[in-house]
Amino acid sequence: MITLRLAGLLSLAALLSAQTLETCRQSHRRGNLEEADRCYLALSASKDPYLRAEANWALDRYQEANEAFKEALKAQPKNPDYRVRMGYLYLYHEQKQDAVDLFEEALAIRKDHAGALTGLAAVASEGFDSAAIELAEKALAADPKQLDARLLLAAIALEDNNPRKAVEEADKALQVDPESLEALALKATVDLLDDKPGTPHLAAILKRNPAFGEVYQTAGRFFVLNRRYEEGIALYRKALELNPRLYKARAELGLNLMRLGHDAEAKQHLEACYRAGNTYPSVGNPLRLLDSYKNFRYIKRDNIVLKLHQREADLLLPYVEEELRRAISAYEKKYKFRLDRPVQLEIYPDHEDFAVRILGMPGMGALGVTFVNVVAMDSPSGRRPGEYHWASTLWHELSHVYTLAATRQRMPRWFTEGMAVYEETATSPEWGDRISPPVILAIRDKKLLPVAQLDRGFVHPSYPDQVVVSYFQAGRVCMFIERKWGFEKLLDMTRAFGQLKTTPEVVQEQLGMPPEEFDKQFLAWVEEQTRVTVEGFESWKKGMQRISELVKKEDHDQILKEAPAVRDLYPDYVEDGNLYAVLADTHLARGDKKAAAGELERYARAGGKNPASLKLLATLLEEQGKTREAAEALSRINHIYPRDEELHRRLGDLLLAAGDPAGAVREFQALVAMKPLDQAASYFSLARAYRSAGRPEEAKEQVLLSLEAAPGYRPAQKLLLELSQ
Amino acid sequence: MSRAGFLSCLLAAAALCAPAATHYITVSGLGGEADYEQRFTSWAATIDQVLRGSRLDAKTITLTGAEATRERLRKVLEDAVQDSGPNDAFVLMLIGHGTYDGVDYKFNIPGPDITDAELAGYLNRLRAGRQLVVIMTSSSGGALERLRKEGRVLVVATKSGTEKNATVFARYWAEALRDPSADTDKNEAITALEAFRYAALKSAAFYDSQKRLATEHPLLEETGTGEGLRVTALEEGQGRLAAAFTLLRFGSAQEAVKDPAKQKLLARKEELESQIDLLKYQKAAMTEPEYRKQLTALLLELARTQEALDK
Repeated sequence: MITLRLAGLLSLAALLSAQTLETCRQSHRRGNLEEADRCYLALSASKDPYLRAEANWALDRYQEANEAFKEALKAQPKNPDYRVRMGYLYLYHEQKQDAVDLFEEALAIRKDHAGALTGLAAVASEGFDSAAIELAEKALAADPKQLDARLLLAAIALEDNNPRKAVEEADKALQVDPESLEALALKATVDLLDDKPGTPHLAAILKRNPAFGEVYQTAGRFFVLNRRYEEGIALYRKALELNPRLYKARAELGLNLMRLGHDAEAKQHLEACYRAGNTYPSVGNPLRLLDSYKNFRYIKRDNIVLKLHQREADLLLPYVEEELRRAISAYEKKYKFRLDRPVQLEIYPDHEDFAVRILGMPGMGALGVTFVNVVAMDSPSGRRPGEYHWASTLWHELSHVYTLAATRQRMPRWFTEGMAVYEETATSPEWGDRISPPVILAIRDKKLLPVAQLDRGFVHPSYPDQVVVSYFQAGRVCMFIERKWGFEKLLDMTRAFGQLKTTPEVVQEQLGMPPEEFDKQFLAWVEEQTRVTVEGFESWKKGMQRISELVKKEDHDQILKEAPAVRDLYPDYVEDGNLYAVLADTHLARGDKKAAAGELERYARAGGKNPASLKLLATLLEEQGKTREAAEALSRINHIYPRDEELHRRLGDLLLAAGDPAGAVREFQALVAMKPLDQAASYFSLARAYRSAGRPEEAKEQVLLSLEAAPGYRPAQKLLLELSQ
Repeated sequence: MSRAGFLSCLLAAAALCAPAATHYITVSGLGGEADYEQRFTSWAATIDQVLRGSRLDAKTITLTGAEATRERLRKVLEDAVQDSGPNDAFVLMLIGHGTYDGVDYKFNIPGPDITDAELAGYLNRLRAGRQLVVIMTSSSGGALERLRKEGRVLVVATKSGTEKNATVFARYWAEALRDPSADTDKNEAITALEAFRYAALKSAAFYDSQKRLATEHPLLEETGTGEGLRVTALEEGQGRLAAAFTLLRFGSAQEAVKDPAKQKLLARKEELESQIDLLKYQKAAMTEPEYRKQLTALLLELARTQEALDK
C-alpha cells in the first residue's frame, strides 16, 4: 500500500516553490538515504516553516514537524496544501480525527481540493470504510492526475480480493506517472500473492531505488490481510533490511510477531519504534498488552498451549482444555490431517486487550481471531452473561486454523468464514449465531452478494450490518454445498482454493456450474429455508407488540392462545423479550410447571443463552425428578458463562445425585477456583465428590481445607471422621 | 464471626455476647417508582421475616410504605432509647433512596425526610452497649461523618454522598440473612461482618457481571475515625466489632450451652478451637507437612468432641 509519508507529495510537489525540498526527495526516491538525510538536515534549518516541517518529518522528528506545520499555517492560513500535508502527518500518527479536520479545513478553503479529498479517502480506507472509493473517485474527478487517489483505488480493489481491478488501477497510475514505485509495488504484490516465482516489477523497483523497502511493506500488508502472517512477517523483515527507518513496517512486524506468539522479538521492534517517537496506538497498545502478559499463565500440554489470565485460569482451564481437545479431535477426522504445530489458545478477560490483537484487521468477528495456529478470544467473563457462547467461538476459530493450514493460508475470506460458521452449527444445532433482523432484511431486500463478490461484504461493507450478513451468508453457502454435494465437496473446494484458484474457478470446477447459476440455486434454497421468518417478519413485529400488551394486562389465557404462533414466525429469536420466556412465565403463573419446562426446553434447543432461563429450566426439571436433564440444562451454561458460583454448586450436586462423581469433581473444582465467600462449604462439596469418585485421599485433603476455614462445620467434621476410620 | 469470639460468648461472657435483647428497626423508604417501591418493601419484608425466625431474643420493628414517616421513625427510635439497656444490642437498617447536599444526608421517606443529624441524635442517646447502623441507600456515604462513633458498627452502601444512583446493596444484605453460605465459619450465626462481606462482594459481582461501572462502594466503619473500609481492603484483624456482632442465629449451636452435663466437652471444644487458631497463626513459621499434621490431629479431635456433644 502507498505509504502515508509520501502520499500526496506528487500532486503538491509541482505547486511548491521549493527546489531544495524536491532535491531531497529525489535523493530519497533514488535510494540515496544518507544523501537525502543530509539534504533534509540542511533544510530543517530553513527559515521557511513549511520546509522545516517537511524536513523534520522526513527525519522522523514528528514533534518538530508538527510545530513547524503550525507555524506555516499561521503564516499562510489560507494555504490548503499545508493543511493537507499536516493532515497526512496526523494520519501517519494515527490521529484520524485531527487529520480529517485538516483535510476538511483544506476543502473549506478550496472545495474540490484533490489532495484533501484523497486524504479523506485515505482516512476512510484505513477503517476499511467503503466511502473511501467514492472519495477517491471525487478526487480523481477534481484532478484526473491525482496519483494517490488512483493508488488508493488499486489498493482497495486488492483488499477486496480483486487483483484484476487492482492491476488495472495501478496501470492507470503508471499512465499518470510511469516512474511511480508505489504503483509498481502494488503490481508486484499481486504477483507475490499469486505465488508467482518471480515478478518483473520487483526488479524494476529495486533498480530505480534499491532502498525502496516500501515495496515489501506493501506486500507484507496484503499478505497479512490474507491471513498469510508468516509470509507477511518475512516481507516486513525484507522491507527493514532495505530501509531500517520504515517504522510503520517495523510496527507491523512487531504486531504480527506478537500475534503469532513471538512476544520477545515483537517487543524489541515495537520498543524501537516507540523510542524513535512512533508513539501512536498501533505501537503503544501492543506494548501495553505485552507488558500485561506477566498476568497470564501459560499451560503447555503436548499439542496445545493455553494462555489464560491468572485470575480465571483455574476456573476456565478444565472447560477450555476439554473443549479444545474435543474440537481438535473432531477436526482431525473431518479435515483428515494433523496440524504440524501446537494450537495456542489465548483468552482475554479484558476486551480492550483482545481488541489490540485485531488492530488493523477488517471484518473480523468481535469475539475471536485466528493467526495461523494462535487463537485469541474474549473470555466469557468479559461479556454479560448470555451474550456470548465461548465454546461456539472456540470451534469457529479452530476451524480457521484447520482450513487455513490445509491451504497454507490461501483461501478467500468468505470461504474460511463460511466454513467456520458452518462448523459452529454442525457441532451443535444450538450453537452459532441465530438469524438476526439485519439478515432477515437483507434476504427480504435481496441484498445478499454474489458468491464471487462475497469477500467485499467482509472487507468493505457498504451498509452497517453487511459484515454480520456476510458471515451468515458465507455460513449458509457452505451449509448449502454440504447439503447438496456432501462435506467432501467442501474439502475439494478447500484444496482447490489452496491452489490459488479464484472463487469463480472453484465454483465452476468443483460444483460444475458458473457462479451465476450457483447464486441462483443458493438464493432459492436460502429463501426457502428462511421463508417463514422473512415473509412473517412484519407480522412477528406486530405480534410482539400485541403480546407485550397482553403481558402488561397479565392476560394469561390470551398469551397462551396467541404467543405460540408469533413465536413460530421467528423461532430463532431468543434474545431479550423472547416469547419462549414469556410463555414459560405465563405457564408458571398458571401453576403449570411441566408446560413451562417444555417451553424452556424449546428455548434451549432454539439456541437460547440466557443463564437465568436455563437455570429456571434446570429447577423445573429437577422438581420433576429429571435429574439428568436438569444437569444437562445447567451444563449448557458452562459454555456460556462459567463464572457463576451457583451454577457449579447446583450442577455439582445434580451430577453427584445422578451418579456422575467425575463430573461433580469438575464442577466443585470450578467452584473452589472461584474463591467463593463460603470456602468451607465449597471444599466440603469437593470432598464429597472425591469420596464418591473413589478418591479418599483427595477427599480428606479437601475436607481438611474445609475445616481449616470453619473448624466447627459439622457436616465436614462428620465426613472427616468417616474418612479417618 | 470469629470463632474465638463466639466461644467466649458460649461459655463466659454472656453479658457481652448474649445481650438481654436485640432491638431491630428496619425501614424501607420512598421508592419514587412502583418498581423501586416494590423492591424496597420486599427487601425489608425479607429482613423482617428472617429476624422474626431468629433464635435471638429480639424486638423487631419494620416500617414500610406509608407507615415509614418521620414521625413514626422518631417514635420507634425514641422507644428504643427508652427501652434499651447497656446489655442490649441495637440494629437500625435503612433501605431506599438517600440524598446528600454536601452538608446533610437525608433518608427519603413519605413526608419530610429525616436527616443524619437527627438520626445521630437518637443513636447517641441509646444505652444499648452494641450498635449496628446499616444505611443501604444511595448517597449513604454522606452519613458516615455524623453517624460514626467509636464502638458503633456503621455500614453504608456508598463510599460518599456523591454516589447518587440507586443501590443494590440492600438486596444482598437481605439475602445474606437467609443464605447459609453467608455463614462462612459455619457457627449457625450471621455476624455483621459476614453480612457485610456477603452483601458487598455480591454487589460488586452484580456490577461486574452486568459489565456496568460500579456506582456503589460499601464501607464498614467501627473505629469512629470516619475511615470506612471497603470489603477488599479488610485485612485480618480488622472489623473485629462487626465480627463480634451477631445479627441473627439459626440452628441449635447454642442449645448445648444450656446443658450442664456438656460443659466439660464444651470447654474441651473451646480449648481445641483456640489451639487451632494459634496453629493457624503460627502457620507461616512452620513447614507445610508439620502444619498439616498438627492441624489434622486437632481437627479430628474437635470433630470427635463435637460428635460427643451432639449425642
